[in-house]
Amino acid sequence: MATVKTRPQTRPPRRPRGGRSARGWGLTTISGLAVLILVTVHMVANHFVIESVGGLRSYQQVLDYISNPVIFVLESLFLVFVTVHAMLGLRGVLLDLDPSPQTLRWIDRGLVALGIITLAYGFLLIGVLASRA
Amino acid sequence: MSERRAGVPGLDERAERGPVRRKGVGVPASGWFDPRGRALGGFAFAVNRITGLGLVFYLYLHLAVLSLLLRGEQAWSDFLRIATSWAFLSLDVLLLFGLLYHGLNGIRVALVGTGVVPNRQKALWWSLGVIGTIALIGGALHIAGSA
Repeated sequence: MATVKTRPQTRPPRRPRGGRSARGWGLTTISGLAVLILVTVHMVANHFVIESVGGLRSYQQVLDYISNPVIFVLESLFLVFVTVHAMLGLRGVLLDLDPSPQTLRWIDRGLVALGIITLAYGFLLIGVLASRA
Repeated sequence: MSERRAGVPGLDERAERGPVRRKGVGVPASGWFDPRGRALGGFAFAVNRITGLGLVFYLYLHLAVLSLLLRGEQAWSDFLRIATSWAFLSLDVLLLFGLLYHGLNGIRVALVGTGVVPNRQKALWWSLGVIGTIALIGGALHIAGSA
Protein backbone atom coordinates (compact mmCIF):
# COMPACT_ATOMS: atom_id res chain seq x y z
CA MET A 1 0.00 0.00 0.00
CA ALA A 2 1.37 3.37 -0.93
CA THR A 3 1.83 5.85 1.83
CA VAL A 4 1.95 9.57 1.70
CA LYS A 5 4.41 11.38 3.94
CA THR A 6 2.60 14.21 5.62
CA ARG A 7 5.23 15.30 8.09
CA PRO A 8 8.10 17.54 7.07
CA GLN A 9 11.15 15.41 6.32
CA THR A 10 13.80 17.92 7.33
CA ARG A 11 16.22 16.38 9.78
CA PRO A 12 17.46 18.34 12.73
CA PRO A 13 21.03 19.48 12.19
CA ARG A 14 23.58 16.94 13.36
CA ARG A 15 25.51 18.08 16.35
CA PRO A 16 28.96 16.67 16.97
CA ARG A 17 29.40 14.61 20.11
CA GLY A 18 30.79 16.42 23.08
CA GLY A 19 31.12 20.12 23.66
CA ARG A 20 33.63 22.55 22.28
CA SER A 21 36.09 21.79 25.05
CA ALA A 22 35.88 18.05 24.28
CA ARG A 23 36.63 18.73 20.61
CA GLY A 24 39.50 21.00 21.66
CA TRP A 25 40.89 18.25 23.89
CA GLY A 26 40.63 15.73 21.06
CA LEU A 27 42.35 18.05 18.61
CA THR A 28 45.09 18.82 21.14
CA THR A 29 45.67 15.09 21.67
CA ILE A 30 45.78 14.26 17.95
CA SER A 31 48.03 17.21 17.10
CA GLY A 32 50.20 16.34 20.13
CA LEU A 33 50.65 12.79 18.89
CA ALA A 34 51.61 14.06 15.43
CA VAL A 35 54.05 16.56 16.98
CA LEU A 36 55.60 13.81 19.09
CA ILE A 37 56.36 11.70 16.00
CA LEU A 38 57.51 14.64 13.88
CA VAL A 39 59.63 16.25 16.61
CA THR A 40 61.45 12.94 17.05
CA VAL A 41 62.20 12.85 13.31
CA HIS A 42 63.17 16.56 13.40
CA MET A 43 65.52 16.19 16.39
CA VAL A 44 67.19 13.00 15.17
CA ALA A 45 67.59 14.25 11.59
CA ASN A 46 68.82 17.69 12.63
CA HIS A 47 70.89 17.07 15.73
CA PHE A 48 71.72 13.41 16.23
CA VAL A 49 73.05 12.23 12.87
CA ILE A 50 75.32 15.21 12.16
CA GLU A 51 78.99 14.86 13.10
CA SER A 52 79.60 18.40 14.32
CA VAL A 53 79.63 20.38 17.56
CA GLY A 54 76.14 20.41 19.07
CA GLY A 55 74.84 18.51 16.06
CA LEU A 56 74.25 21.76 14.19
CA ARG A 57 74.33 21.87 10.39
CA SER A 58 76.42 24.32 8.40
CA TYR A 59 74.64 26.74 6.03
CA GLN A 60 75.11 24.50 2.98
CA GLN A 61 74.08 21.41 4.94
CA VAL A 62 70.84 23.15 5.97
CA LEU A 63 70.05 24.03 2.34
CA ASP A 64 70.78 20.49 1.16
CA TYR A 65 68.65 19.08 3.97
CA ILE A 66 65.57 21.22 3.42
CA SER A 67 65.66 20.84 -0.38
CA ASN A 68 65.07 17.09 -0.02
CA PRO A 69 61.35 16.66 -0.97
CA VAL A 70 60.64 14.16 1.81
CA ILE A 71 62.24 16.39 4.44
CA PHE A 72 60.44 19.42 2.98
CA VAL A 73 57.06 17.71 3.45
CA LEU A 74 57.95 16.41 6.93
CA GLU A 75 59.15 19.83 8.12
CA SER A 76 56.03 21.48 6.66
CA LEU A 77 53.78 19.01 8.48
CA PHE A 78 55.79 19.56 11.65
CA LEU A 79 55.29 23.31 11.34
CA VAL A 80 51.51 22.91 10.89
CA PHE A 81 51.00 20.48 13.76
CA VAL A 82 53.31 22.26 16.19
CA THR A 83 51.56 25.60 15.50
CA VAL A 84 48.08 24.09 15.97
CA HIS A 85 49.17 22.33 19.16
CA ALA A 86 50.84 25.49 20.52
CA MET A 87 47.78 27.66 19.85
CA LEU A 88 45.45 25.12 21.47
CA GLY A 89 47.79 24.88 24.46
CA LEU A 90 47.93 28.66 24.84
CA ARG A 91 44.12 28.74 24.64
CA GLY A 92 43.93 26.18 27.44
CA VAL A 93 46.22 28.26 29.66
CA LEU A 94 44.26 31.45 28.94
CA LEU A 95 40.97 29.64 29.67
CA ASP A 96 42.29 29.01 33.18
CA LEU A 97 42.00 32.76 33.74
CA ASP A 98 38.23 32.33 33.29
CA PRO A 99 37.67 35.02 30.65
CA SER A 100 34.21 36.34 29.84
CA PRO A 101 32.59 34.99 26.61
CA GLN A 102 33.44 38.26 24.84
CA THR A 103 37.09 38.09 25.93
CA LEU A 104 37.21 34.44 24.89
CA ARG A 105 36.07 35.40 21.39
CA TRP A 106 38.92 37.91 21.18
CA ILE A 107 41.36 35.31 22.50
CA ASP A 108 40.22 32.87 19.81
CA ARG A 109 40.60 35.50 17.09
CA GLY A 110 44.02 36.51 18.40
CA LEU A 111 45.26 32.93 18.51
CA VAL A 112 43.95 32.21 15.00
CA ALA A 113 45.76 35.33 13.75
CA LEU A 114 48.96 34.39 15.59
CA GLY A 115 48.76 30.87 14.19
CA ILE A 116 48.30 32.13 10.62
CA ILE A 117 51.23 34.56 10.98
CA THR A 118 53.40 31.78 12.42
CA LEU A 119 52.52 29.41 9.58
CA ALA A 120 53.03 32.09 6.93
CA TYR A 121 56.46 33.01 8.29
CA GLY A 122 57.46 29.35 8.75
CA PHE A 123 56.48 28.42 5.20
CA LEU A 124 58.27 31.51 3.86
CA LEU A 125 61.41 30.41 5.72
CA ILE A 126 61.23 26.81 4.49
CA GLY A 127 60.34 27.86 0.92
CA VAL A 128 63.12 30.44 0.58
CA LEU A 129 65.77 28.08 1.98
CA ALA A 130 64.64 25.20 -0.24
CA SER A 131 64.75 27.46 -3.30
CA ARG A 132 68.35 28.49 -2.52
CA ALA A 133 69.72 24.95 -2.65
CA MET B 1 19.36 17.74 44.58
CA SER B 2 19.87 21.45 45.11
CA GLU B 3 20.25 20.84 48.84
CA ARG B 4 22.95 18.28 48.14
CA ARG B 5 24.69 20.66 45.77
CA ALA B 6 24.53 23.39 48.38
CA GLY B 7 26.64 21.18 50.63
CA VAL B 8 29.43 20.77 48.08
CA PRO B 9 32.51 22.61 49.33
CA GLY B 10 33.81 25.36 47.08
CA LEU B 11 30.53 25.78 45.16
CA ASP B 12 30.14 29.43 46.12
CA GLU B 13 33.67 30.14 44.97
CA ARG B 14 32.92 28.48 41.63
CA ALA B 15 30.15 30.97 40.97
CA GLU B 16 32.56 33.88 41.30
CA ARG B 17 34.16 35.35 38.21
CA GLY B 18 37.93 35.40 38.06
CA PRO B 19 40.87 33.03 37.71
CA VAL B 20 40.18 29.32 38.12
CA ARG B 21 42.57 29.19 41.06
CA ARG B 22 39.80 30.67 43.19
CA LYS B 23 37.34 27.96 42.18
CA GLY B 24 36.78 24.56 43.70
CA VAL B 25 38.63 22.78 46.44
CA GLY B 26 42.18 21.56 46.65
CA VAL B 27 43.69 24.16 44.34
CA PRO B 28 46.15 26.40 46.16
CA ALA B 29 45.49 30.13 46.09
CA SER B 30 48.65 30.64 44.04
CA GLY B 31 47.21 28.65 41.09
CA TRP B 32 48.29 25.68 38.98
CA PHE B 33 51.79 27.06 38.43
CA ASP B 34 52.63 26.45 42.07
CA PRO B 35 53.42 22.72 42.41
CA ARG B 36 53.94 22.86 46.21
CA GLY B 37 51.70 20.64 48.31
CA ARG B 38 50.16 18.90 45.31
CA ALA B 39 49.35 15.28 44.66
CA LEU B 40 51.26 13.66 41.80
CA GLY B 41 48.54 14.49 39.25
CA GLY B 42 48.54 18.19 40.18
CA PHE B 43 52.33 18.33 40.12
CA ALA B 44 52.43 16.62 36.71
CA PHE B 45 49.81 19.03 35.37
CA ALA B 46 51.68 22.11 36.67
CA VAL B 47 55.01 20.97 35.20
CA ASN B 48 53.26 20.09 31.92
CA ARG B 49 51.89 23.64 31.69
CA ILE B 50 55.24 25.23 32.56
CA THR B 51 57.14 23.11 30.01
CA GLY B 52 54.40 23.82 27.43
CA LEU B 53 54.74 27.57 27.88
CA GLY B 54 58.51 27.21 27.71
CA LEU B 55 58.25 25.27 24.45
CA VAL B 56 55.95 27.90 22.90
CA PHE B 57 58.55 30.54 23.84
CA TYR B 58 61.24 28.33 22.29
CA LEU B 59 59.20 27.89 19.09
CA TYR B 60 59.33 31.63 18.43
CA LEU B 61 62.96 31.87 19.57
CA HIS B 62 63.79 29.06 17.14
CA LEU B 63 62.01 30.80 14.26
CA ALA B 64 63.87 34.02 15.09
CA VAL B 65 67.22 32.20 15.11
CA LEU B 66 66.44 30.44 11.81
CA SER B 67 65.83 33.88 10.29
CA LEU B 68 69.62 34.22 10.33
CA LEU B 69 69.68 31.66 7.51
CA LEU B 70 67.80 34.16 5.34
CA ARG B 71 70.61 36.68 5.88
CA GLY B 72 73.19 34.33 4.40
CA GLU B 73 76.08 32.04 5.21
CA GLN B 74 78.13 34.53 7.23
CA ALA B 75 75.28 35.32 9.65
CA TRP B 76 74.65 31.59 10.20
CA SER B 77 78.35 30.85 10.75
CA ASP B 78 78.55 33.65 13.33
CA PHE B 79 75.56 32.14 15.14
CA LEU B 80 77.13 28.65 15.09
CA ARG B 81 80.18 30.02 16.92
CA ILE B 82 77.90 31.13 19.79
CA ALA B 83 75.61 28.10 19.63
CA THR B 84 78.46 25.65 20.09
CA SER B 85 79.59 27.19 23.38
CA TRP B 86 79.15 25.21 26.60
CA ALA B 87 76.56 27.64 27.99
CA PHE B 88 74.41 27.32 24.88
CA LEU B 89 74.72 23.53 24.75
CA SER B 90 73.61 23.36 28.40
CA LEU B 91 70.42 25.13 27.38
CA ASP B 92 69.95 22.38 24.77
CA VAL B 93 69.78 19.87 27.63
CA LEU B 94 67.11 22.02 29.29
CA LEU B 95 65.20 22.06 25.99
CA LEU B 96 65.52 18.28 25.74
CA PHE B 97 64.09 17.96 29.27
CA GLY B 98 61.12 20.16 28.32
CA LEU B 99 60.46 18.16 25.15
CA LEU B 100 60.74 14.81 26.89
CA TYR B 101 58.61 15.77 29.88
CA HIS B 102 55.87 17.44 27.84
CA GLY B 103 55.83 14.67 25.24
CA LEU B 104 55.86 11.72 27.62
CA ASN B 105 53.37 13.33 30.01
CA GLY B 106 51.20 14.04 26.97
CA ILE B 107 51.21 10.32 26.17
CA ARG B 108 50.14 9.60 29.75
CA VAL B 109 47.34 12.17 29.65
CA ALA B 110 46.13 10.84 26.27
CA LEU B 111 46.14 7.22 27.49
CA VAL B 112 44.30 8.10 30.71
CA GLY B 113 41.93 10.64 29.12
CA THR B 114 40.85 8.40 26.25
CA GLY B 115 40.14 5.55 28.65
CA VAL B 116 42.83 3.22 27.32
CA VAL B 117 44.56 3.06 30.72
CA PRO B 118 42.20 4.94 33.04
CA ASN B 119 43.41 3.65 36.42
CA ARG B 120 47.15 3.54 36.01
CA GLN B 121 48.14 7.19 35.80
CA LYS B 122 50.67 7.04 38.65
CA ALA B 123 52.33 3.90 37.30
CA LEU B 124 52.42 5.48 33.85
CA TRP B 125 53.98 8.67 35.24
CA TRP B 126 56.76 6.76 36.95
CA SER B 127 57.44 4.35 34.09
CA LEU B 128 57.47 7.11 31.46
CA GLY B 129 59.59 9.13 33.89
CA VAL B 130 62.21 6.37 33.89
CA ILE B 131 62.16 6.24 30.07
CA GLY B 132 62.43 10.03 29.91
CA THR B 133 65.32 10.13 32.38
CA ILE B 134 67.26 7.52 30.41
CA ALA B 135 66.59 9.42 27.15
CA LEU B 136 67.63 12.71 28.80
CA ILE B 137 70.90 11.23 30.07
CA GLY B 138 71.58 9.73 26.63
CA GLY B 139 70.80 13.04 24.91
CA ALA B 140 72.89 15.04 27.39
CA LEU B 141 75.86 12.70 26.89
CA HIS B 142 75.48 13.03 23.11
CA ILE B 143 75.45 16.84 23.36
CA ALA B 144 78.38 16.85 25.78
CA GLY B 145 80.24 14.36 23.58
CA SER B 146 79.81 16.53 20.51
CA ALA B 147 81.32 19.45 22.41
